[in-house]
Amino acid sequence: MLISLNEIKKYVEIPSTVSNQELIELIGSRLVEIEEVIDLAPKYKGAYIAKVVKCDPIEGTHLNLCQIDAGAVTAEFSDGETVQVVCGAPNVHSGMLAVWLTPGAIVPSTYGHENFRLGKRKLQGYESNGMLAGADELDFDNEHKAIAEIDPKIARPGDLLADIFALDDLILDVENKSLTHRPDCFGLIGFAREIAGILGIKFNEPAVFENLEAKLPPSTLDLQVKIEGDDLCPRYSCAVFDLTRHESSKYLTREAVFLAKAGMRAIDPMVDLTNIIMLETGQPLHAFDYDKLFTVGGAKTPTIVVRVAKEGESLQLLDGKTIACTPDDILITSNNIPVALAGAMGGKNTEIDASTTRIVLESATFSLYHLRKTQMAHGIFSEAITRFTKGQPAAMTLPVLSETIQRLGVEPLTMVDEYPGKVKSNTIKLTDSQINSLLGTEYDVEAISQTLENVGFEVEEAGDVLAVTSPLWRTDIHIAEDIIEEVGRLLGFDNIPLALPKKPFSGTESSPLWQLKQELCGILSDRLAMHELLTYSFISRDLLEKVGQDPDDSYEIVNSISPELQCFRQQIVPSLLDKVRENIKSGHKDFTLYELNQVSLKSSGLTDEGTPVLKNHLGIVDLSDFYELKARILALFKALKLNIEYRAISSETANHDPYLEPKRSAEILVGDTKIGAFGEIKAAVLRRFKLEPVISACEINLDKIAQLPRDRATDFKISRFPFVERDLTLKVSTVAQFGRFDQAILAMLSAENLIAEVAPVSVYQADPATKNISFHLRFSSPERTLDQDQISAIMEKVTVAVTQLGAEIV
Amino acid sequence: MSDIETLKAALKDLNAEYAKIKTLPPEQRGQFGREMNKKKQKILAEIARAEETAESANIEPLDVSAPTAPNQPLPSLKLGSRHPLMEELNRVAAIYANMGFDIMEPFQLDDEFHMFDSLNFPPNHPARDGYDTFRTAENFIPPAHTSTMQHRALKKYKHRLDEGGEIAVVVPGRVFRNEDADATHEHTFYQCEGVFVSRDATMGQLFGILKRFFELYYGQSLNLKTQPGYFPFTEPSAEFLIEKPAQLGGKGWLEMGGCGMIHPNVLKMAGIDPTVYHGFAWGGGIDRLAMLKYHLPDVRYFESGKLDFLEEF
Repeated sequence: MLISLNEIKKYVEIPSTVSNQELIELIGSRLVEIEEVIDLAPKYKGAYIAKVVKCDPIEGTHLNLCQIDAGAVTAEFSDGETVQVVCGAPNVHSGMLAVWLTPGAIVPSTYGHENFRLGKRKLQGYESNGMLAGADELDFDNEHKAIAEIDPKIARPGDLLADIFALDDLILDVENKSLTHRPDCFGLIGFAREIAGILGIKFNEPAVFENLEAKLPPSTLDLQVKIEGDDLCPRYSCAVFDLTRHESSKYLTREAVFLAKAGMRAIDPMVDLTNIIMLETGQPLHAFDYDKLFTVGGAKTPTIVVRVAKEGESLQLLDGKTIACTPDDILITSNNIPVALAGAMGGKNTEIDASTTRIVLESATFSLYHLRKTQMAHGIFSEAITRFTKGQPAAMTLPVLSETIQRLGVEPLTMVDEYPGKVKSNTIKLTDSQINSLLGTEYDVEAISQTLENVGFEVEEAGDVLAVTSPLWRTDIHIAEDIIEEVGRLLGFDNIPLALPKKPFSGTESSPLWQLKQELCGILSDRLAMHELLTYSFISRDLLEKVGQDPDDSYEIVNSISPELQCFRQQIVPSLLDKVRENIKSGHKDFTLYELNQVSLKSSGLTDEGTPVLKNHLGIVDLSDFYELKARILALFKALKLNIEYRAISSETANHDPYLEPKRSAEILVGDTKIGAFGEIKAAVLRRFKLEPVISACEINLDKIAQLPRDRATDFKISRFPFVERDLTLKVSTVAQFGRFDQAILAMLSAENLIAEVAPVSVYQADPATKNISFHLRFSSPERTLDQDQISAIMEKVTVAVTQLGAEIV
Repeated sequence: MSDIETLKAALKDLNAEYAKIKTLPPEQRGQFGREMNKKKQKILAEIARAEETAESANIEPLDVSAPTAPNQPLPSLKLGSRHPLMEELNRVAAIYANMGFDIMEPFQLDDEFHMFDSLNFPPNHPARDGYDTFRTAENFIPPAHTSTMQHRALKKYKHRLDEGGEIAVVVPGRVFRNEDADATHEHTFYQCEGVFVSRDATMGQLFGILKRFFELYYGQSLNLKTQPGYFPFTEPSAEFLIEKPAQLGGKGWLEMGGCGMIHPNVLKMAGIDPTVYHGFAWGGGIDRLAMLKYHLPDVRYFESGKLDFLEEF
């Protein structure tokens, strides 16, 4: 919404001590977010009123050679009495007052974008200084019709255009969203009232807001209004009157400039007046052709019916488009024929035209819920609907209608006021300490009362209690806190003394999961050199299918932006896998990706609250084979101080992680709890991602880990006595499991009460039937230095143990 | 004769002189011995230094600008990275935790009740449209703000009020909005919500906490200001701005989020008596903090999964 500061100043006198800059800052901090301040002064710099003294057609062209008198400014651009300008407008004639843009001036309609600067040019061989401007070039109109003519009653040659039309102005482009709950501020008067309140000035209500109990004049014409349905239309006021035709002024009017400052355009005097009154009061108005309204459906009793649209109804709007109505649309109908889409646009069938003699002027307010849907369904974004969708106060429809009738200078033939949602005055009782204890302030009763009264509240003091009655146009005041907000806001939230709560040293809680995630980042990124990724929680059905997961087990977004973001992911690994190819293509090699995030499956069911069960997972994708990833997984759990076991993958896990190659994967267990799985990704899956083997992945459930006790390891490999180190190579069958041997050796050494470590050294396959597996043994006694005999005895026991498993010492 | 030879000769002379010790009366020998020893240590040190210099002179200088010596493999150094957005989120949460706030995380699939109803959004209220929520076929909602946890936080810690304490919780986490992504908008982003309830909570305390947080976050004192805002779940409501800190170039204000006193209906719905307790809540974006910090031109980098980007951190 565009707000002219000059227009505001007509309603509230800004103290001379408050500069425009300060005023704008106050508005920004206490009323509404200002997106931009548009300074009109530079836009209209170099625009003067000039008299066309002489105007001669240039033969063979549509152009005229004009001599203009721009008063005192003339001398700046000419040695003579006049300045020469070539002008092609059809309406240029000698004797007229026009708007002259001098050489060096920027054409206002291009200001801020192309910034087209005028100069002294030759046209058809004639020197032309600047230009005589049309309303479009002055940015008051969209159509290029003619040059603007100025009423000699309001200006003289040499006057600055800006002085005549108050264009030395600042326009505030305010963020409508931050006023969503304040329909009363969608008019200049309401906006000005707030500014008075912010400045601590009592606002002088214009008459239209003073007398809300407008009386209906005696009726000489039959007209009824019926509203069908609760809450559809809290109030519908209208008036019928004979149309007095006023020709559009040939002059550029102050009304046209006023509308232009609000981003609107002049159309004809009556429409302009209704638009101006809307901009002033916030109440939109709509005019129908009375006779068409009631002949259109062949009705005998003139009745306007407000109702929701029915299945299959359509309506041709004023802009020529025919819309199919939705059941949320509110229609104005006559004899069951739609004549207007309420709040949005009139129907073609009741359009005012040359034959119109009587007008129905509507001033109503409708359910904002319906109108918001209408706005979205039909894509109508007019100034009127912008206001209606905030829920214009029902209290104002009739007063604004009466004001309009008065300003039009017409006698209504009838006025009707259907008011089912009658607004009653609302009084809220509260105390000053209630206000101060919520804000953290020490405002006295007088300051509080004054602040509220300045913007139209009535305050009665009864002992400690303030009885605050809100003005009828304030639809947003319901509870004491609403009043407290008004006090705090108008007196400035920024004036509230800052404080900190007092809190005992009781420490703070974070969940084991939160702590685990912090720890994991340290281990995975800092220790194990992995890259932490964030990817979207929603993925495509295609991605789920690529990894063999069932898309129907994913929660699906019905209003997703694209098919790429449709399904809630079931695991992290697929998202990471999807990022591998691009990174390889950009030259990265040998990387490991991980992400900590939430996943969900429909089949996991709902929580006690009835929301989907969400699991927190760690996903890892590693450009390496099973064994390299395994080394990282072991290092991870060692760092987590968790003893894990791993075993070949079960068929259940194979279903759960369908992208893992079951023969080259393992599942991870802590005790009996399975916490995840890791392994190489199936070649077929990799092909679908246009990736080459070998890539490995791991998916771990963090919720389970977070619940596990994680004691620090107690088997420190530390001894007071020297360690013995021995290498051992065993020849075993190709199919023999490596793990059996190192576990057997370690078990045997531990049984001997030794502090022992068995580290794998190599696996070497010499022939198809056998392989050599080598270990490095390291052990010490906690009680003594082992002598040669003792060492030999131990190694002998090792030999026995491995021989029993079918190994041969090499 | 080189320096070293001269020094060695001097050492020899000293040793010869030392032999005189036997000729001295016993009471002078100690003193003599100490002095001689001091001289000897000095010469030895000079010899060591001279030898070091001589050795250095023969060493081939290397090219410090080269990555490796000729014919040698490049050193291998595999580094990982932490996600910059997570680092920011963790840092924000850690500061609040130090200030005394417990941490709760949001659910990435939630429901209408926690997204709107429990936050005093009337049914069908247009304010609901403003959040551009995604929905699943079952009408679950990926949260459009971290305020989905307000009701849960109030209920979870309500017992603390009964025990004479207060509720102080922050909710850092991922939220979603149905809007097309561009350089400054993402459909997936991060917020941190704060909730505080006590018998004497005030708007002044709300602003005090926000100011303090940003001072700790930016490591300097700075001013806070507000502009009016509207949220169904707070009354009064405001948006807050901070003075641009020196590390971001100073001058001007940065919009940081929305805040307000918790609406009495929100407290009531969680079983807290709004005539006895007051509360305040606030929320702000994390992505923006990280973007400002690193002068990032495009928010879409965060979820891009590009190592080119992540390796910069």
